[in-house]
Amino acid sequence: GTQVKDVVIKSDAPSALLLDKHADYIAAYGSKKDDYEYTLSEYLRMSGIYWGLTVMDLMGQLTRMNQQEISDFIKSCQHDCGGISASIGHDPHVLYTLSAVQILSLYDNVNVLDVDKMVEYVRGLQQEDGSFAGDKWGEIDTRFSFCAVATLALLGRLDAINMDKAVEFVLSCMNFDGGFGCRPGSESHAGQIYCCTGFLSIAGQLHQVNADLLGWWLCERQLPSGGLNGRPEKLPDVCYSWWVLASLKIIGRIHWIDKSKLRSFILACQDEETGGFADRPGDMVDPFHTLFGVAGLSLLGEGQIKDVNPVLCMPEDVLERLGLHPDLLS
Amino acid sequence: MAESEEEDVLVQRVVKDINNAFKRNPNIDEIGLILCPEARYNRSPIVLVENKLGVESWCVKFLLPYVHNKLLLYRQRKQWLDREALVDITCTLLLLNSDFTTAWNVRKELLQCGALNPERDLYLGKLALTKFPKSPETWIHRRWVLQQVLQECSPPSSDRKEQRDSGLRDAAERTRLSERLHRVLHDEMKVCADAASRYPSNYNAWSHRIWVLQNMAQGNLKVLHDELSSMREWVSMHVSDHSGFHYRQFLLKALVRELSQSMHHHHAPWPSLGSSSPRSPSPDPQPGHPHHQANGEATAAAPCPSPATPEDQSLVPAMPQLFHQEMELCTDLIQSFPGHETLWCHRRHVFYLWHHWRRDHDHHDGQGCGSESPQLNHTDAGLSSYPHTASPRGVGIDRVESRNGQAQEGQNAMEVDGVGVPDPRNTKRLKRGPPDPCPPALPSEHSFIARVLEGCRSPEQGCFALAYRKWLDSVIGQ
Repeated sequence: GTQVKDVVIKSDAPSALLLDKHADYIAAYGSKKDDYEYTLSEYLRMSGIYWGLTVMDLMGQLTRMNQQEISDFIKSCQHDCGGISASIGHDPHVLYTLSAVQILSLYDNVNVLDVDKMVEYVRGLQQEDGSFAGDKWGEIDTRFSFCAVATLALLGRLDAINMDKAVEFVLSCMNFDGGFGCRPGSESHAGQIYCCTGFLSIAGQLHQVNADLLGWWLCERQLPSGGLNGRPEKLPDVCYSWWVLASLKIIGRIHWIDKSKLRSFILACQDEETGGFADRPGDMVDPFHTLFGVAGLSLLGEGQIKDVNPVLCMPEDVLERLGLHPDLLS
Repeated sequence: MAESEEEDVLVQRVVKDINNAFKRNPNIDEIGLILCPEARYNRSPIVLVENKLGVESWCVKFLLPYVHNKLLLYRQRKQWLDREALVDITCTLLLLNSDFTTAWNVRKELLQCGALNPERDLYLGKLALTKFPKSPETWIHRRWVLQQVLQECSPPSSDRKEQRDSGLRDAAERTRLSERLHRVLHDEMKVCADAASRYPSNYNAWSHRIWVLQNMAQGNLKVLHDELSSMREWVSMHVSDHSGFHYRQFLLKALVRELSQSMHHHHAPWPSLGSSSPRSPSPDPQPGHPHHQANGEATAAAPCPSPATPEDQSLVPAMPQLFHQEMELCTDLIQSFPGHETLWCHRRHVFYLWHHWRRDHDHHDGQGCGSESPQLNHTDAGLSSYPHTASPRGVGIDRVESRNGQAQEGQNAMEVDGVGVPDPRNTKRLKRGPPDPCPPALPSEHSFIARVLEGCRSPEQGCFALAYRKWLDSVIGQ
């Protein structure tokens, strides 16, 4: 027979949750700012900060981070057009506009920014067919539809865009298998599915999803190791524990996954020495996979971690404070 | 000299060396990092061997921060850089860090002001993809550049009178633009194929490929069908590549859409990309041929917005045949490579498309496809032509080679809505051999599953077969 693409979890892989180690890892990350790797990833720094802060908050450790420094940094990333860039001197983009608003929401400090200008920036990205460009250069992707509505939802300004048209476009990206791709006609992909189900939740249009069909596609992502992949015949990756799991939660089918096997897989992705999570057991850790490992465990009901909201990937108590309750199917 | 000044001098030299390498050898086709932890005394870390450009790893930790910060100082208006310096710096940066969005944006601005031409940027992106075949920002930038090329190749004005007047005078220009577009399209297919081969199930490469066809070859039956034929071998050697198979699903769906649209339009044949594709064996376009001249009203250069002509339609086997061939391919691969989820997913998609196509077209086909009798008397020249046993590749090549000989005959003989006039090409098809049994339906799919389960030695294969059966029952069998 054929070997199914998967990993084998070694018997000595971590099986206990090492939250303190992860908090230490994140707190120390990026302290050596002239590190070569750090420069390489500067183009997404705002998202990197969002990943780090969110996972710290989920672990109850947000106070270890420097709120003032971060607020000042974000302020200097807002451009005249209202959009936010990943770092100082970089160009604005809707991805980093969302990350900035998410970060400031954690601190309840969104007003250090010019919110009206930011809303104008996001509104200006919507196209005639309802889609959203990522920035002024015009790339269209359903990820950007999600970023736009998530940003506006956090600001309480969803009325700024043409929601009907936006929904129409996202639905035009629904495929025969119930999944979604980046543009109409594109292959279904767990990351895009997360963005589109998240979008539809915020838009109050989840009933348009074929929950059974999509749920089936999503639970077919689970492999013998317990881990989840993003598409057929890809290796499992801890970040898909978020994209797939959150999508299942949104459409009310999270019970279709073998939770305990997934939990074992996620725990096996920890690095006992350095702290943090890697994409799969034994690989190098990074803040991205650390957030999604912890967030995935939260969705699975891990008691030591705060509840995470599956639509916005932020602590539920933050959204509670904002009065945000995006729809979930049951 | 202070240590940091020394570093600056060194780095500036390296940036110069990289750009001189491109000037010396415009055929560089691959870039890479050479693992080399220490500098050799007084020797450049830039190595050019044949058409491969290498950068020794020891210099990267100086090089990257230097060019990175320099570009950002420029962006914040704290330091001026002239156009040539910007070109050099962004080139170096993007070869080291091709996801640095802002660097690509600087190049967009250089393109807009004429300091860079689009082909140069496409070349840089192509090189970056040899090292980083998934790089999302590289693909995103590429689409923007291609849109600039499309705009350059499109009719300059919507003023119809102006176009009519300038008609014949601009025919040479239109030909030049058309050829440029074809070259660019052809190159894009190659870049996508290379990137797909460098990284398995490369979502970004394949979704880009789809974007290119959607935006640069709309309605072009010949391109769609050529892609379907040429990718057959590739997917047979990459049976786990879900994106590769999805591409075939996209092509089939696009062919269905184009072929069914052409049934509903009545118009004289228009010049389209189909008639001047670089893949056709004959020289194109044919000057003097009345149907290939634009008449000043449209350009052959722009992606063809009009539905497929009857001429184009004849290039492509009918849909039932295409579906049958695809299912056969899928069957062969499932049997040869047991336990591959991708192949079973492909089967679901193709069967779904086929199932819905039949449902939509049963009223066009008087006999319907449930019939067992051989359809030797079937004379409809359009969509409902039955499949035959000539090998799929053989069919494609035969058609292309005979196209130009038959083109004029076809244009005169073919009724636009495909009714009434017996198509001479159908006679040719008849001569190739007895028709196949009718393409698969639910019962034959269930027997296929049973056969697989019976002979199955791979547990995964068994699982996928059962899942397919469950899918047929719940999704199709309603």
